[in-house]
Amino acid sequence: MGRAGFVVQRLLLLIPVAVGVTIIVFFMVHLIPGDPAATILGIHATPKAVALLHQQWGLNRPLASQYWLFLDRLLHGNLGQSIFYGGSVTSLILSHLPPTLWLLAYATVLTVLISVPLAVLAATRKDGIRDHVVRAVPLVGLGMPPFWLGFLLIYAFAISLRIFPVSGYGSGFTGHLRSMFLPSLTVALALTPVVIRSLRASMLNVLGAEYIVTARSKGVPSHRLYQRHVLRNAVIPAVTVLAINIGFLVGATVIIEQIFAIPGIGQLMINSIFQRDFPVVQGVTLVFAIMVVLVNLLADLSYAALDPRVRFDR
Amino acid sequence: MKHRTTTAITLIAVSALAALAGCGGSSGSSSGTSAAASGAAVRGGDLVIARTADSQSMNKTTVFDNESIWIFQQIFQTLYTVTPNGKGVQPMLATGYKVSADKKTYTFTLRPGVKFSTGQPMTSADVKFSIDQASAADKGWGYINTAIKSVAAPTPSTVVVTLKYPWAPLLADLSLFSNGIVPANYGGKSETAFYNAPVGTGPFKWDYWHKGSALKLVRNPSYWEKGKPYLNSVTWTDVPSDNTRQLQLKGGQAQIDEFPAWSTVASLKTTPDVTMNLFNSTRTDYLAFNELRKPLQDMHVRRAISLAVNRAALVKAVLFGNGKPANSLFPPQVPYYQAATQGLQFDLAAAKQEMAKSSVPHGFSATILVSSGFSDYKTIATILQSELKPLGINLKIQQLDPNTANTNQQSLKYDMTLTYWTMDIPDPDELATFAVDPKSGARSFFTAYNNPTVVKATHDAEKTLSTSARQDLYNTVQSGSASDAFMAFLYNSPYAYATSSSVHGFYVTPLGNYHLENVWMSK
Repeated sequence: MGRAGFVVQRLLLLIPVAVGVTIIVFFMVHLIPGDPAATILGIHATPKAVALLHQQWGLNRPLASQYWLFLDRLLHGNLGQSIFYGGSVTSLILSHLPPTLWLLAYATVLTVLISVPLAVLAATRKDGIRDHVVRAVPLVGLGMPPFWLGFLLIYAFAISLRIFPVSGYGSGFTGHLRSMFLPSLTVALALTPVVIRSLRASMLNVLGAEYIVTARSKGVPSHRLYQRHVLRNAVIPAVTVLAINIGFLVGATVIIEQIFAIPGIGQLMINSIFQRDFPVVQGVTLVFAIMVVLVNLLADLSYAALDPRVRFDR
Repeated sequence: MKHRTTTAITLIAVSALAALAGCGGSSGSSSGTSAAASGAAVRGGDLVIARTADSQSMNKTTVFDNESIWIFQQIFQTLYTVTPNGKGVQPMLATGYKVSADKKTYTFTLRPGVKFSTGQPMTSADVKFSIDQASAADKGWGYINTAIKSVAAPTPSTVVVTLKYPWAPLLADLSLFSNGIVPANYGGKSETAFYNAPVGTGPFKWDYWHKGSALKLVRNPSYWEKGKPYLNSVTWTDVPSDNTRQLQLKGGQAQIDEFPAWSTVASLKTTPDVTMNLFNSTRTDYLAFNELRKPLQDMHVRRAISLAVNRAALVKAVLFGNGKPANSLFPPQVPYYQAATQGLQFDLAAAKQEMAKSSVPHGFSATILVSSGFSDYKTIATILQSELKPLGINLKIQQLDPNTANTNQQSLKYDMTLTYWTMDIPDPDELATFAVDPKSGARSFFTAYNNPTVVKATHDAEKTLSTSARQDLYNTVQSGSASDAFMAFLYNSPYAYATSSSVHGFYVTPLGNYHLENVWMSK
């Protein structure tokens, strides 16, 4: 089976994952006590007004028939109407998706930019001072809770130095690049220690391999040796580690988005849960699930790009 | 002390506005004549208000949410509006009225020269349409207009409102945002389409709303008040974290921080370039008792609990001193508030005496329902827990997420809970009916309280036009409900807004509304 077949197979796998997620989420959100009418009407919720809204939203139907309706709409590409805003869930999610994708992509890029040079620095002087420093210092980033680290970065770079905006998403490409730097760095600092460690370990492994000795004896210059032979072979385990962590990150963005006031789907999720905006919660969870599957698929595909020996015949 | 991005955004916004307005003069020199009070009001600037949550909808007839109301109040205006002290009304889109001898027909004269932001002049047909729509809103604010029989538009500049019976709060009701003026027939659009991009006579007009992120209004060039508004635009950004809002203010990314945490008010007062505003409000926080649950239907028990609450200590612990103990169902900023009402205050000896007279002299166990949305309420509940111990009351705290807590409160599934009220109109009628009439939709503020004398006084006051007679009736309501202790009145708190010192003329009335046409920013 070629690469196309592999991709199709993995994409088809999305269907059972998505259906499973919708079933769990649908029944879980309806199991939580509380009523969207309580949010919308506040203290003006009279039984009559509540009943009217329930009828309007279709919440007075049996749960199973509500789920069936949801699935039926989903097959037609329609995620339904938001209870709180009244507008389409799809457009609500689409407008909240870009900031979250920015955050994930930007954080990944920063993680790579920070980890790769540091891992090389550490691996080239195994057990030297450089190695110990590189292994120890980034652990601080891992140990600090993201909400605290985020505020520290804001104080340092946005309040004292005024280099970056305090928070928000910014507008335009350069605006996003500036506004999203601190939140992405917060995420990246939590990721780098793990990536550095795995990259360093696999580089040391590769450095001991016979083909490196051969290359060295052939007189391959050091920078070329690292670029072509060491890094390329050592990076695959690190990609796996990174991909798994990005999967977790999709959930962690919720906190980062809250601190940095980023209007992403993590925030949308939190607000919708509090408002009992069932259709939006269902929609966002579905998107989260799809994102996790896609990130893993991308990781698998990047193995092949990095190492031609990887084939998709399973 | 301007931030680079702010300047960039300003430039973009200014040029966008110039394009929108179809004129080149963006950095206006027409400061106008009405800058008298502040001396040197400057035209221009883009105000950013960092707020706690997003709006819900711009439909003024059905929305109860403040974060929506405060925005569309900059777009829709009413015939009358609340005075700055919150106790009366003053003309807005009307210039005056005449009332018939039987007090059932009001004839309003409309202000000449008022235009919608589309440039279309406002006429009596628009007013009739707007009030009729507000009255018809069956799941919204329609109940405010129940006394109105019909609205007529005999000439383009006069509107006649006919009542079913004489109704004292009429002008106050017409000052409610639900009676704001929109173009007749929504300017030919559907109701939904209209409220997605609303049009009104107010100082600002619709620009965009990125849900969950930001909502922006821009200057209405055809606004009727000469020289106003001063600002080019106002953007409300959604910043749920207290910390982040404050950091945005300090970092120059926002100029107004809506509701800084009480614990930070003192430090904000001494922060350079920040003005900490505490505006008088009509907010009162209450401890509510569910009278469907034993032994809380026993007045002595409720009185005992109310007497055991040390309100001054609550103000200190929760509001960090920024408030006052409450003594009445009505807040001090409401007309007919009776300063002399002796709402029960802290007196532990008296509390023990009341308890001894009750059906449970040795105490009992109960649960207090707390919404996790308000961290302050957890603090109050913890304090109450220890304050009620001397009475033998074992209080358990049940903390639920805001939605569930609301649902349980409204369906009277609680023993005690913490709740609050803010006024929507400058007349006590709305609160009184809501709070003490068991037949109203709210079943006496969801407590099932029923004192026929108090209920009768509430409804008599609606139809009494003499101010002194109304005062007597509302005194009965206030003293009766205080003595029955159907709720323990805890404290009155102000509206806290931290603003950049470059912001001038920002004022919040006790009803919570603000008039951004008066706000300007120094460069």
